[in-house]
Amino acid sequence: MDKLEKYKKAWDNQPEDVNKISKKEIYKLSHSKSSSIVKWILFIGILEFIVFNSLYMFVDMKEAYIEYERLGLKGFVFWTSILAYGILFYFLYLFYVNYKAISISDSTKVLMTKILKTRKTVRNYVLFNLTYLGLTMFAFTVASIQVDFNDLTNKQLVLTIIFMLVATSITLGLFYLFYQLLYGILLKKLNKNYKELSKIDD
Amino acid sequence: MQKDLEDKFLKEFEKNQNIAHKICRIYTSNQAAHNDLFQEITIQLWKNYPKFRGDAKFSTWMYRVALNTAISLYRKSTRRVKTQDISDVAYKISSSPYDDTEELQLKSLYKAIHKLNDIDKALIFLYLEDKPYKEISETLGISSVNARVKMNRAKEKLKQMLNP
Repeated sequence: MDKLEKYKKAWDNQPEDVNKISKKEIYKLSHSKSSSIVKWILFIGILEFIVFNSLYMFVDMKEAYIEYERLGLKGFVFWTSILAYGILFYFLYLFYVNYKAISISDSTKVLMTKILKTRKTVRNYVLFNLTYLGLTMFAFTVASIQVDFNDLTNKQLVLTIIFMLVATSITLGLFYLFYQLLYGILLKKLNKNYKELSKIDD
Repeated sequence: MQKDLEDKFLKEFEKNQNIAHKICRIYTSNQAAHNDLFQEITIQLWKNYPKFRGDAKFSTWMYRVALNTAISLYRKSTRRVKTQDISDVAYKISSSPYDDTEELQLKSLYKAIHKLNDIDKALIFLYLEDKPYKEISETLGISSVNARVKMNRAKEKLKQMLNP
């Protein structure tokens, strides 16, 4: 490593005083706002939990219940809602535990693993919600067809099925793209470095 | 109690701040980004200082937190500085009388390090700072043997860039 030695000597001799800042400035900096990706993941994660759980506010529940009853889905909706809330609290708990476990004093690899784990918790919650949404749409389609079966012509039947399939696919696809983009941008550097670091121990 | 902790932190940080500056110099290429990363490192150090138990040296802990911030937490500054680039910034190194040859070597060294990926940068930085392999492997979370292998490759890359 002879060639590097002379550069290393230059490194060792580099002066210290160029950017030096005072205690007062350090104090000011240490109390300013962080813009780390962990903070972003926390914000976006909480926002996702809120958004997915406030969707009901946009639906007229009274009218919806009448429709559930007409389609014979009251029991289905009741039990799946209870299940969905149970799962929501489970995810919130996981999210909190994972977030609290993140420590900058860990080794780089462990830190990255924990950050990615927190983000995966939210991703899984979103996946669960999208699956739930897809299943509900499917159940409603089947129930509507069953109830109105005698009044529907073959053409109407096929059209209803196609419409529901397309609507479900577009909704799920849009959500998927949105998340890929959001977390793709946010975690681009971290993912790249994680892969690089993982390669070393492979 | 809080005041004592703060005083102690400020004293330690002031004494060791060069570690953070050097990391900012290798991970950013303009002054605005340097300041941004430096600020984030300072925030992270202060936020986590109460958990720092002092069973390691402050400087050892600082290397880890500062590198972790640069590699994992920091998002590139959206602010752009028009004129400065690596060659100008690498770096306003000398303000005191300083050996010309060494200054040029230092500039070439920073320029070459800038071309490495983030993980190689960390390895080379820890090598330049004379850190033992045990500490390097513990800081990055890789095995000692693999750290050694990877370090040799990173050094090779660097040597080629310095002497094409």
